[in-house]
Amino acid sequence: MERMVVSMQDPDQGVKMRSQRLLITVIPHAVTGNDVMEWLIHKYCITEEEALHLGTLLVRHGYLYPLRDPCHLELRLDETPYRFQTPYFWMSTLWPAAELDYAIYLAKKNIRKWGGLFDHEKEHYDQLHRKISHTWDLVVMQAREQLWAAKQRRKGDRLVIACQEQTYWLVNRPPPGVPSVLEQGPERNSCTAGRVQKTKTVDFYRREVECLRKALGRARVKSSVCLEAYLKFSSQRGPHDPIMSGCLPSNPWVTDNDTYWAMNAPSAAVPTRLRVEQWAFSFRELLEDPVGRAHFMDFLRKEFSAENLSFWEACEELRHGGQAQVPALVDAVYQQFLAPGAARWVNIDSRTMERTLVGLGRPHRHVLDDAQLHIYMLMKKDSYPRFLKSDLYKDLLAEAVVPPETKRRVFPFMRKLRHSSPSPALLPASASREPSGGDGEA
Amino acid sequence: MAKEECKALLDALNKATACYHHLVLTIGGSADSQNLREELQKTRQKAQELAVVIRARLTAPLRDRGLGAEERAEFERLWVAFSGCLDLLEADMRRALTLGTEFPLNKPLRPLVRTGVEGGAANVAARALSARSLRHEAERGFDVEDLHQLEREILQVGEMIHDMEMKVNVPRWTVQARQAAGAELLARPSAGVSSMRGVSVEQRTGPCDLSKALAATIFSAVLLAAVALAVCVAKLS
Repeated sequence: MERMVVSMQDPDQGVKMRSQRLLITVIPHAVTGNDVMEWLIHKYCITEEEALHLGTLLVRHGYLYPLRDPCHLELRLDETPYRFQTPYFWMSTLWPAAELDYAIYLAKKNIRKWGGLFDHEKEHYDQLHRKISHTWDLVVMQAREQLWAAKQRRKGDRLVIACQEQTYWLVNRPPPGVPSVLEQGPERNSCTAGRVQKTKTVDFYRREVECLRKALGRARVKSSVCLEAYLKFSSQRGPHDPIMSGCLPSNPWVTDNDTYWAMNAPSAAVPTRLRVEQWAFSFRELLEDPVGRAHFMDFLRKEFSAENLSFWEACEELRHGGQAQVPALVDAVYQQFLAPGAARWVNIDSRTMERTLVGLGRPHRHVLDDAQLHIYMLMKKDSYPRFLKSDLYKDLLAEAVVPPETKRRVFPFMRKLRHSSPSPALLPASASREPSGGDGEA
Repeated sequence: MAKEECKALLDALNKATACYHHLVLTIGGSADSQNLREELQKTRQKAQELAVVIRARLTAPLRDRGLGAEERAEFERLWVAFSGCLDLLEADMRRALTLGTEFPLNKPLRPLVRTGVEGGAANVAARALSARSLRHEAERGFDVEDLHQLEREILQVGEMIHDMEMKVNVPRWTVQARQAAGAELLARPSAGVSSMRGVSVEQRTGPCDLSKALAATIFSAVLLAAVALAVCVAKLS
């Protein structure tokens, strides 16, 4: 667009220039919409519609601005005069527009029009004042100085420069309701468009075939099955989710009362009812909760199959532990659980046992994975359902505590003031006083 | 007082930056010429000199740990304004460089954009340099060398800004500006008025001042007539 504008300036072949007459001043270099259209049609041999579209684009991007009605940036095909924008305000030079510059412009407009800004400009002004209030001295000083500098020029020049600046800010900070030309749609992002045009060699097709073959072999789940599982999950978990169904006694983020966290801590003595119910959802839930795992261990002891869970825990430790301890740990696990005649012998089927024994020759972190999985499935299919039906579990459910919801205070003005967490810049002494105050409340 | 000096220098830098901004606006437009480029160079050199002086003056008190809280706050305010000004100056200098390279003056193949701005900006530059008027002494190929010079100066200013950030640590969010929103609508500070009086004496061009001069002469004529009538009435009675 800029090259087009520059070629329009050619004194011989450019657009015809007229003069604009104001009351006393005459300002040259005005063009009419018609002239622009004719020049475009003549130079690029395009139709009228295209020329109109091009001209409108030029106006919308601020390369040309109307003189009579500056707020409406559109190209009209009559005698309305336009003028070219100075290169300083072209899109390429001043991209993107800075907040400080906008603030200075609004301050200047404020001074010139005695506070007569548009509504959206007033809003922007307030926003900017909040954002960059530390440089507001500079904004005011610069605004005043720029106005005084402008007064050093002739009146005609002053008017033109003011119009130019106004157009620039109309394009860059459009009033509400006007589509902004600066927003780039996704298709304009050139990096994605470039990759499509690759040369289709034989290698490319070979790779494609390989990829598609692999994709065919993947197991797929039908979306009906997926969605059913998803629905079941959501309905099961709905009452347990603190955001969807509220949390008892109260949301600590709202009321500054952290009883909820204390009661649901991993090592709480008495689990809440919701937590105990969660153990019934799946075996994994039970094992992941330390309290649940402890109770499950108690149950297994009664059934004389606690070595399964111990073995599983030992394998977990092997998998997640330090690399240096791996050989020693593998040895210890073997001696304790897998050797024939071991103290806590676990019941693994022969094939898995053979594979594990072979792997024990070169111990690594995952050598006991097969055995661990076997035991896990055993516990899940056998002990876990029995646990859920057992008296132990039912007693736990009965004993589980349901925390009462904190009563809302009747008198709203006596409610404790909610304060945000202390700023990290404050000394830690004051921060330590805060949680003790919160606990005293609960 | 060091603070008053710093304030005065900062005001001068502010003026220079505003004038430079105003001049850069017209590069590439119909008012572009060798004179404009020369004015740009003089203005920015003046702005740079001022910047160096202010920086020296401000760095010392800010690095002094034993300074009182209010004084320190005052200096921090000045510092924030100074660094903002310098940022504006650097941005304008960069734009001047791109525009200057795009619109070279001696090649007729690329015509200047006809923006409707005519007339010189000598007064603007004179205001920046706080001088009465400006003489133009440049030779023909001035703008090309000027661009090289401008590049070097941009690098210098960039280094200065970087240096400033490294040496003095002023957290911007703790600085409270003196001026509130809408402060520009209040009356101008007196320091500006006195400098304006000097410059407005020169301004006699332009049709708008012609009408003002006409109104002034008519008014004085009417006043004289009234005085003469009063004297006659007094003599007669």
